[in-house]
Amino acid sequence: MAESYAAMKTGSQPTSIEGADLNRYETEQVTLDGATTAPARYVFEAIGVARMFDDGQVQALRGVNFHVVQGEFLTITGPSGCGKTTLLQMLGALDRPTAGTLRYRGVSIPDLDDPSSYRALEIGFIFQAFQLLPTFTALENVQIPMFEDRLPASGRKDRAIALLKSVGLGHRLNHFPSKLSGGERQRVAIARSLANSPSVLLADEPTGNLDSENAHLILELIIQLHREQQMTLVLVTHDMSVAQRASRIIQMKDGRIVSDRESTVAGSMI
Amino acid sequence: MTFFTVVTRGLIRRPVRTGLTILGISVGIAAVVALVGISRGFSKSWETGMKARGTDVVVSDMGSSLVPKPFSASVRDRIAHLPHVDATCGILVDLMSIENTQMILVSAREWGGFSWNNLKLISGRMPRDAAERAVVLGRTAAEVLKKKIGDMIQIETAELSVVGIVDGNAWVENGSVVLALPIFQEITGNPDKINIIDIRVTPSTTAKDVERLCAKINALVPEGRAVVAGEHISKSEAYRMVQAMSWGTSLLAVLVGVLGVMNTMLMTVFERTHEICILLALGWRRGRIIRMVLWESALLGLLGGLVGVMIGAVGVKFLGMTPAIRGLLEPDVSINLLLISVAIAVAVGVISGLYPAWHSSRLVPSRALQG
Repeated sequence: MAESYAAMKTGSQPTSIEGADLNRYETEQVTLDGATTAPARYVFEAIGVARMFDDGQVQALRGVNFHVVQGEFLTITGPSGCGKTTLLQMLGALDRPTAGTLRYRGVSIPDLDDPSSYRALEIGFIFQAFQLLPTFTALENVQIPMFEDRLPASGRKDRAIALLKSVGLGHRLNHFPSKLSGGERQRVAIARSLANSPSVLLADEPTGNLDSENAHLILELIIQLHREQQMTLVLVTHDMSVAQRASRIIQMKDGRIVSDRESTVAGSMI
Repeated sequence: MTFFTVVTRGLIRRPVRTGLTILGISVGIAAVVALVGISRGFSKSWETGMKARGTDVVVSDMGSSLVPKPFSASVRDRIAHLPHVDATCGILVDLMSIENTQMILVSAREWGGFSWNNLKLISGRMPRDAAERAVVLGRTAAEVLKKKIGDMIQIETAELSVVGIVDGNAWVENGSVVLALPIFQEITGNPDKINIIDIRVTPSTTAKDVERLCAKINALVPEGRAVVAGEHISKSEAYRMVQAMSWGTSLLAVLVGVLGVMNTMLMTVFERTHEICILLALGWRRGRIIRMVLWESALLGLLGGLVGVMIGAVGVKFLGMTPAIRGLLEPDVSINLLLISVAIAVAVGVISGLYPAWHSSRLVPSRALQG
């Protein structure tokens, strides 16, 4: 079977960001040879995923099995060094598993022909340390991922302005990261993660570097985006109060999933 | 924001380092412009000098020295009657240190020959005859020697009087001490010797005829070689050596520039490892990262090249005014040379960026998530 990730047909859900095609992913999958196949059941599917470092001396992941469905909000939690960030890297094609199967909409992620395109167009990353480029303004930082989307410069700018306004930073467009507060930086990073209208948001401790007030605001913003745009959200956190906001919580320890359960409080909060 | 914005932002982030790197390249490029400009100027100056004298063909034996080897003045008689030869003039030239000057061109011309005709008196007079122990000075030579009409000038052991200041309508001519052939033959101990024969061809002579004339002279005269005026310098062994040394020296300077750019770009890439990993994590292709680094280094080269040609052009003008060179040659800083120099600088930038670009393309995007 030809390896591809889906080019999904556009649905009719509303979008909140001008110019952004946020609903490209729906029900039908088209392979590289143009054939239409049955829809992939899961957005992500992990079967026996393992990751070893230093010739097997360090086992970051030891046979992880799970799946994520379209539009799900999932948190991965656990103590430091349990392998949650490594797992997130695998989902984002930033790293490859040593063993096991990892699929995105039915397509093997390690075998992707074009992992750059996958990262640029399918995935939105939000990092703990914001990871903004210090020599670029907020507006420019948001445009960085758009270079892979073949938009003209004016189109990139318009879209970036719309995204920054949507996260409440319309008045900080030309500020450099050093002139922004922690919360504002993370808002820029969130706007950047939405640059190419991804279907999946991967967030690695997005509130980890923020004070409690900003952490709350940022989390609310991410959850709001997830709800409004029906994006699949995978959020890594060691903070159980954050983890509880998801509809599903995966708990990890020593490279293994020790529990995978529905959240008991999420339903009332989302 | 365009891709070019990303490229320029990379250079602006460390303005001092970028400035010093540009300066490093520019020194190398300035050396190219100055040294090659001077060596080309040497050839061009002779060529314009020949043209000013109305010379179409030159017979000389340049060998590997900067002045031609002497041969018998009777060679002229074997040439004078050939078809298309309108006039000939035997000349004995030498580069000499006269009084306090380092080097000046002394041009002794056959009395009555056409090579005197281009000299226009600015002041004084021409020598009265071939026997008068007198010289006329090109106007630059007069300035360099600090002589005026009525002064005495010492050439070797002989004392001659300065009787005129002339404009020869060419850099070399204006920088020369001109006198009658027999006087200089006597002073230098070269009786009946000349080392150049200027030939003026008849007006209807075509380029093909000139070629045939040169071939005929070369068959007739083993003592020298006939070439189209001006080419006798550019085709000489000495000129080729000087030119090779100029390029060699300046390319060494360029090599230093290459190392400078490579160092800067490597430092930039190492310093921006985290940023490049973020770009990769955000979906930038490795090819785009490579292009970004190469464009940055090419831009460094271009800026270094532009600054370098400016420094070189000014430097050449300055060198042209130094006592060692003044009057001897007119530096030739052509648009071609400037364009070639800038092209070299851009090539230096691109070549220097190859390894850093390759290194940056091998970075692993997962490092972006590590803090």
